[in-house]
Amino acid sequence: MSANRDLRTRLAEQDRRFQETGCYEADLRVKEGDPIGFEVLFTKLLQAVTNAREVALSISASPATREQGEIIFGLYTPEGDSICLSTGLMIHVHTMSRAIKWMIENCYQTTVGLNEGDYFFNNDSFIGGGHPSDQMLITPFYVDGQLEGWVGGLTHVTETGAVEPGAMGSSFTSRFAEGLILPCLKVGEHDELRRDFDILVERSVRSPIPWLADNRAKLTGLRMIREAVRQLIKQTGPEAYQKVTREYIEDTLQATREKIRRFLFPGRYREVAWRGVTLPGQESLLQAPCDLVVGRDGSLRIDFDGLPSARRQPFQGTLPLFEGMLFNGLIQNVFYDLRYNDGTFLAVKLNVPKGTACNPDNILLPTTLWGPAYGGMMALAQCVARAYFAKGYREEVHASGPLTSGNLAGGTDQYGRPFGGQCFEFASSGMYATAFMDGLDTAFSDFNAEGDMGDAEVWEQQMPQIFLVREIRKDGGGFGKFRGGSGIHSLYMVPNGIDMDMGAFGSPPIFSTAGVMGGYPAAALRVWAGRNTNLRDIIARGEPLPSTEGDDPLQPEFVRMVKADWEFAHGQNYPARALPPGSLFSVVSGDGGGYGDPLERDPALVARDVENGTTTKRAARDVYGVVLDEISFAVDAVGTDQRRASKRRERLARGIPASVYKGRMRERVLAHDFPRPASALYRDVLAISPKFAGEFRTFWNLPEDYTV
Amino acid sequence: MAEYSDATLRDLITGHLPLDEVQRLQRDKDLDRMERVLKIEQARVSWSDRILVCLQEHLYVVATAGGQRVVKCSCGQEFGDYRTNWKEAALVYERAPQDGEIFLGTRGADPEWQVLREFYCPGCAVQLDVEPVPVGYPFTFNFLPDLDD
Repeated sequence: MSANRDLRTRLAEQDRRFQETGCYEADLRVKEGDPIGFEVLFTKLLQAVTNAREVALSISASPATREQGEIIFGLYTPEGDSICLSTGLMIHVHTMSRAIKWMIENCYQTTVGLNEGDYFFNNDSFIGGGHPSDQMLITPFYVDGQLEGWVGGLTHVTETGAVEPGAMGSSFTSRFAEGLILPCLKVGEHDELRRDFDILVERSVRSPIPWLADNRAKLTGLRMIREAVRQLIKQTGPEAYQKVTREYIEDTLQATREKIRRFLFPGRYREVAWRGVTLPGQESLLQAPCDLVVGRDGSLRIDFDGLPSARRQPFQGTLPLFEGMLFNGLIQNVFYDLRYNDGTFLAVKLNVPKGTACNPDNILLPTTLWGPAYGGMMALAQCVARAYFAKGYREEVHASGPLTSGNLAGGTDQYGRPFGGQCFEFASSGMYATAFMDGLDTAFSDFNAEGDMGDAEVWEQQMPQIFLVREIRKDGGGFGKFRGGSGIHSLYMVPNGIDMDMGAFGSPPIFSTAGVMGGYPAAALRVWAGRNTNLRDIIARGEPLPSTEGDDPLQPEFVRMVKADWEFAHGQNYPARALPPGSLFSVVSGDGGGYGDPLERDPALVARDVENGTTTKRAARDVYGVVLDEISFAVDAVGTDQRRASKRRERLARGIPASVYKGRMRERVLAHDFPRPASALYRDVLAISPKFAGEFRTFWNLPEDYTV
Repeated sequence: MAEYSDATLRDLITGHLPLDEVQRLQRDKDLDRMERVLKIEQARVSWSDRILVCLQEHLYVVATAGGQRVVKCSCGQEFGDYRTNWKEAALVYERAPQDGEIFLGTRGADPEWQVLREFYCPGCAVQLDVEPVPVGYPFTFNFLPDLDD
């Protein structure tokens, strides 16, 4: 069979075969005949993609790539299915596969042309990737003139020439606000990137260096992988290579089903994650309702019926991104010890209704900040955590991870050069609490397992904001028997000689992520921006500069110490606007959700946290019911027992039977007595999701024609 | 496949297993874990109904002497048939999100956007769940185990 024959036909035949048989490859005869050789070859392929990543990290000049490792490489079949991937941004296990298939389905073979040494650039998230920041470079590779597969590399680039600097603005209402978007454009031939592509980037974005440097890093990585795989194909022969690589995917598919069957309890799970829109006039909650059905046969069915509509707002994600997020969640939580490839994707049945905020059908809509497409991954991970719990595997159980959030800036730096970017320190937010320990502070993000905040000095080079504070956010993580990890609080100062717009992205004024099994959600995010400060006077007088947020979120230490025109944004969606020199800007990254009843927390852990400054004395007393010595922080065991007993009595006194609660609330529901963000959600979802509408009406015992 | 002692699993359940031991369990799984954990959990409760599955912290589906399958708290409080959301039999408290007891000021959500719905066991007052939800949102039925043979 010619590997070059019509790729579109090949892809369609493969899809049909899979639908009919449920198998990617009919047999595993290579594995069964030579299991050691099978593993050795896979290790060599894995080594090829991993080596490429390590080298590319050193080539790139982008802090997000170098400092946080926001990069991944993958090897694909001729039909675009992933065979093996490096470490890194696991979201993109499947998103590059989507882009390759898109080129095949759009007849690139005959219209654009596919040749050895061609490079295709894509950052159109409706095709593949997550948002315009996610930029992939893909090349087909050949042996003796026959197409043997594709290699892809992806990095997260922090400036795209969007309306707001830093690519991820919270004000975008159309795709045209998101900057330079190139849909699977051929940008290189004969193993070289075209000069006019560089010129396009140079003239379209504020800081072209990260974009251009990442392209060179990816090109290098792709060539390394291609040459390594070619050498292996020379040893195995092309037919044997094609056979064994298909077996790697089938083997993963079978292992995925087996792992589900062994380690997840069969049943129906439901979790809901929350996001929202804060654009003036569009204020609405957005829900990500995840129904997971774990079958006894090792099947997984994931249903997101109940998502809100896609709209002209940035808190939504494309289907390729959403698939990427969900499989990132599954790989991080369940399939972490299997091969990372599309076998995992094939094992899962997914329903994401068209036209919703996780599957928009209008490519002119912005999909910058993902909203429920990020929350949906967390909801799925929570379902999986419960399935592990029921099987007894408590070491895998945890609350929700952080809603990563951070700042954006752009303008002219001290050398008169334009700049723009995101401070990607939020890749080390607060980790979720687990069933056996607290979440780590400032060490986690769901999308990148490396969880590195990067050096402040490196960020100051890319975005000339000066760090005055970088600290663990006190009381950030969700309270619980085990508490969620706390994220970072950073306070930046705009130095002299800088013309800067600064903004932030995060969430609406809601709890940023959920707790589980009695644990509280993580705290809400927020921004403080101070203009017209008296910092110059403070410095001239030799007085101390602010060094912390302190214990009181209503009056942070920096607000009390520095006179300014202070502005507060609850929830951390703050479209970028001018901040003159001397201004201060305070942001937080996300925190993790809490696990279990806080009154069951070991008092010694509370004392430790108070002493370390991660828990306030107020929370120790009011949330955890722990009595501490004011000076030594020693636990008063008797006093703690009494306080906790008292707090339990208070619960019994204030709690009302669910039937009574429902009766009272039903009257409000019937009267449509909802605040505006809830009302907007219900109006939308009741109209588009018969499933959610049915559940809503049944739960509140409403008439069949009830709408909002 | 690995095997772990009852003491190890008991420490895991109570949250006292050292991290390096937890990581060993994460790397190398034992296949009879569920049966082992059910035995340990059965020994921790004071009642004799057989535990069929652990739903979450403090809550189990048990087989009663009368042959019913109900949700039961570690304290002995029963929440009814396991096919009905146990939250329907809990005590509920809708907490203002910035009430100052749990979340101080804007550390909590804007009450226009979300409230905290707390669920307590009527028997022992343990907090079983906290839902951050908009006003009027139905209770979430988190887990319906597939128990039918």
